[in-house]
Amino acid sequence: MKKGLKIFAILLLVFIALQFWKPEEIEYSTPTKDFTNVPAEVNTILRNSCFDCHSNTVNLAWFDKITPANFIVASHIKDGRKALNFSDWDKLEKPKQSATLYYAFNKILSGEMPLKSYTALHPSAKLEDSSVEVLKNYLTTIAVRKTNPAIPSIAAPKGIEKILPNKKITDYTKVKATLNNISYIPDFRNWKAVSTSDRFDNGSMRIIYGNEIAVKAIAEHQTNPWPDGAIFAKTAWKQKIEADGTISAGAFIQVEFMIKDAKKYEATKGWGWARWKGNDLKPYGDNANFDQECISCHNPVKNNDYVFTTPLHLDINKFNIYNKNK
Amino acid sequence: MKPIHSIIIVLIIILSGCNRNNENNINEKASVSALDALPENPLLLSPITFSINPNKATMSTLYGNKIAFQHAKIKADSSYPNGAVLYEVTWKQKADSLWYGANIPDKIISVEKIQFTGNTAPKYELYAGHPLKKVSSNDENKRTTIILSKGMVETP
Ligand code: HEC
Ligand code: HEC
Repeated sequence: MKKGLKIFAILLLVFIALQFWKPEEIEYSTPTKDFTNVPAEVNTILRNSCFDCHSNTVNLAWFDKITPANFIVASHIKDGRKALNFSDWDKLEKPKQSATLYYAFNKILSGEMPLKSYTALHPSAKLEDSSVEVLKNYLTTIAVRKTNPAIPSIAAPKGIEKILPNKKITDYTKVKATLNNISYIPDFRNWKAVSTSDRFDNGSMRIIYGNEIAVKAIAEHQTNPWPDGAIFAKTAWKQKIEADGTISAGAFIQVEFMIKDAKKYEATKGWGWARWKGNDLKPYGDNANFDQECISCHNPVKNNDYVFTTPLHLDINKFNIYNKNK
Repeated sequence: MKPIHSIIIVLIIILSGCNRNNENNINEKASVSALDALPENPLLLSPITFSINPNKATMSTLYGNKIAFQHAKIKADSSYPNGAVLYEVTWKQKADSLWYGANIPDKIISVEKIQFTGNTAPKYELYAGHPLKKVSSNDENKRTTIILSKGMVETP
């Protein structure tokens, strides 16, 4: 019995001593003013559930300040702020603010945020269904395209947004590679469309193309994981509202690629990630690690080999069976 | 261990194994099925452009065979050559369960075919219903004009 007490006392001493060992001081709490142009209840929800790690305004519980918990907390805050800092809200341009909120909301829906390890100890940060509904309703109001878009009073003259033929790139070898060393793939327009997507959140529309290997994988139901050599090209255009209220594809925004090679791209989840923007096909990314941004957002679908799209069934044989029996 | 326990464990392993194989996530519902009475599978042709009708919550893709696609590539007019075939495939939209902010194709509600043969006016056909089968249309001319006015969506 006495021995047990001794051990306990030693452990206690070690624990107390440990308390002098603290993580490098981070700026813990400076007040963040309310989001400009965002309803109060939305503000409150984000403040309550996300600010501890995604703002300069941190409300730590007493147990968060104890070593070793404080090391974990400090690293969450550091990484969290780096990924997203709501205290910088006013520095963002409006479209970026909307995109950030949509991104944040999708991280909540996928269950990634707030971090589970955090809500286990801070249950009040968990989002109630009613809070999720509040956020969703608010997001609907900031969607670039509303459910019933206003029809422009004067129909845009046809073809005005068309690229003039002389502006079209003729020598694709001159298109710069991305900083993670991926060269432009010009022939995706001859690939098959595996799906389309109507992005009312940011007013764009996309065709997701798949190369021959991807299409073959779909026909053979070998899509998880996708085979080496499969490539997706996702092309985004601006939504253009026509006089009759329908929407056609307007100006070209960007094309993005995911190139499967489990070995070569092992460090980036088996895919090579690349994006070229605008009519001059400017490679996207400030450094060779820009693809971490792609992976972070694609992370909720990691069990689906990081692919969001559920492709159309493009099985040639299946269809021919019908024709033969006819 | 009781035999019943081993049986349950084996069953769980088998069932979860089966699940894994079905995780191929293909949008079967939005695809052409063997029951659809179409002359060919338009989804295997080349996408020329696409459009959305937010009031009807539908999205459409215009596909062309090789001749139509080549024409659309170089000319933004409706004078498709002999042999050109276009398909306008229209889907009901559904919310993307993986991304709040996106709509993706649900069921196909119609397939319209326009075929260019010789000097006569292009031939229009409408396929609708589940499964898709040929039905008559009362705004053939209007639909033909609309579909033929769609040019190739531009990429640099
Ligand atoms: C306990 C700390 C913590 C809380 C609370 C938290 N997050 Fe995070 N969040 C992180 C960390 C750490 C990262 C960066 C690393 C990662 O992606 O896991 C992150 C990343 C993110 C990202 C960006 C992913 C990227 O890397 O681009 C978004 C968006 C996000 N969080 C949204 C939210 C939202 C919305 C809430 C509140 C509902 C929330 N987070 C609450 C810790 C937290
Ligand atoms: C903010 C979230 C987000 C980021 C960041 C992001 N993506 Fe995606 N990506 C999506 C969503 C959502 C889809 C599904 C299609 C759609 O609705 O646009 C998608 C689809 C794709 C596809 C089609 C295949 C698939 O997974 O469905 C490609 C290719 C792609 N993204 C490439 C990239 C590349 C390359 C980057 C980085 C340069 C990137 N993405 C960054 C959200 C994101």
